[in-house]
Amino acid sequence: MSTAAGVPVAEIPLWGRLARRVVTSSAWRTLGPFIPIVALWAAVVRLEIFPRAFFPGPVDVLRAFGDLTYKGILPQYLQDSVVRLAAGAAAGVLVGVPFGLLIGLHAKSYRFFWPLVIFFQAIGDIAWLPILLIWFGFTLRTMTFVIVYTVVFPVVFNTALGVRTIPVEMVRAAQSLGAPRWRILGDVFVPGALPNIVTGLRNGLGYGWRALIAAEIIVGTSGIGFMMFDARRSGSVVEMLLGMIVLGILWYVVDGGLLAPLERATIQRWGMVTDG
Amino acid sequence: MATAGAAARERAPRPARALETAAQAAAWFVAPFAALVLAWMVVLQVFDVPLRVFPGPGHVLEAFRQQSASGALWTHVWQSLRRVLVGSTLAILTSVPLGVAISTNRAVATFFAPILRFFSVLAGIAWIPLATLWFGYGFGAITFIIFNAVFFIVVYNTMLGVSRIPLALRYAARSLGAGPGQILTEVLLPGALPNIVTGIRTGMGFAWRGLIAAEIIATNAGLGYMLFLARDFYRTEVIVLGMILIGAIWVALDRLILAPLERRTVERWGLTRRVA
Repeated sequence: MSTAAGVPVAEIPLWGRLARRVVTSSAWRTLGPFIPIVALWAAVVRLEIFPRAFFPGPVDVLRAFGDLTYKGILPQYLQDSVVRLAAGAAAGVLVGVPFGLLIGLHAKSYRFFWPLVIFFQAIGDIAWLPILLIWFGFTLRTMTFVIVYTVVFPVVFNTALGVRTIPVEMVRAAQSLGAPRWRILGDVFVPGALPNIVTGLRNGLGYGWRALIAAEIIVGTSGIGFMMFDARRSGSVVEMLLGMIVLGILWYVVDGGLLAPLERATIQRWGMVTDG
Repeated sequence: MATAGAAARERAPRPARALETAAQAAAWFVAPFAALVLAWMVVLQVFDVPLRVFPGPGHVLEAFRQQSASGALWTHVWQSLRRVLVGSTLAILTSVPLGVAISTNRAVATFFAPILRFFSVLAGIAWIPLATLWFGYGFGAITFIIFNAVFFIVVYNTMLGVSRIPLALRYAARSLGAGPGQILTEVLLPGALPNIVTGIRTGMGFAWRGLIAAEIIATNAGLGYMLFLARDFYRTEVIVLGMILIGAIWVALDRLILAPLERRTVERWGLTRRVA
């Protein structure tokens, strides 16, 4: 056991080993860079370059966090946003994957539906809001529709892409080994397209999550987006900043802790791409 | 002479065949939309949907004629396009140099990576409440939001691109006697270009959606504003017209400018990747 420098571990003092353990840990690598940023932020606030009301400091935001958590508003809104996001993801997979498989497997439906998929994907989420508000009013259904719509199309898009990029030799190999159609679907097409499906889900949720914030701002019944816009109305910059930070952390956790590893794992397990 | 004539005769059918395939491709492109419009008309007829809920194709065409005759439509389209162009141009001009500068040093790059990820996650919509407070409702706030949506994603992708360039290429350039300036223009920039362009394409996708949301909330002109204004008067035909325009403009922007640009850069400078 020796370090990269060739020095035996035992010769490094305890604090040195501890420091090394901390510096190389992934938590430090992720969180460390934010320390100077927050310090800089606090310094700028302390110098009062901008009026305090427009630009509150980290301590104010932390206090607002404690306050809103204590009142139960923040956990409630956070839960609302996360549940909506999860529902969108589930619906996106349930609708998007079968439809994507159909388009990917059937050449004629591919040619027919492909331009439509591209077009409807381009009418982004938010553009649906006005007419949804006319149909459903300022309700939860409006928001559900927006997020499901936003997640579904990237999933369809990428699933079809994944199916179509499977080398035809794979299918023929399975066929010549005597696999019936449903086994080819289950053993060749679905696993082969899985990396793309996960990529689609990741993209879709990236878009869907932004759409959710916008929908919460505009529809405004509950959720982090609503909290921020409500704060805008009362001019409370602290709550706006708090909302932004919570959103950033939330997405960082969902994307970096859940979706990106999932994508990496599926690509390693089933992917045929050597360099993504 | 004779051989040239024979060659010309032999070549003659080729333009005709190219025309035929082009026509076929056009037909395959138009057919889905024609079917969609047909289905739209049939559904409206069968279910007797009132105009307040959903307009027919005729209503939308009529709205298009009216709005473009009065010039209002073109003002909105121009306002939206101008904001996207100004915001993204500013963002690209600043983010590419910053991205390259950060990534030339490994320690600086690992320091900035989590911060950039955090902010690219926040990009766009989450800034709306704060941007409107800082810049007021109007051009400034919206340009700021678009700038944000593009800036962080492009910086992050530029960094990613530079870090993917094999060190051997840098060493090779240096051992051939290239100075830092030449390494920058001959190795780093071309090598990172595919990633930069991918970043621009993704960022502008987010920016376009963010723009619509921002216009709904924070201005008095632009396509998003047109949609939301129409909602106040239950003018569903104007809403649907706006949705179609938003989709069509983005498809045109993406398919005619960004996607070919990405494909070309990847083919010209890409090391391994292929664009679907």
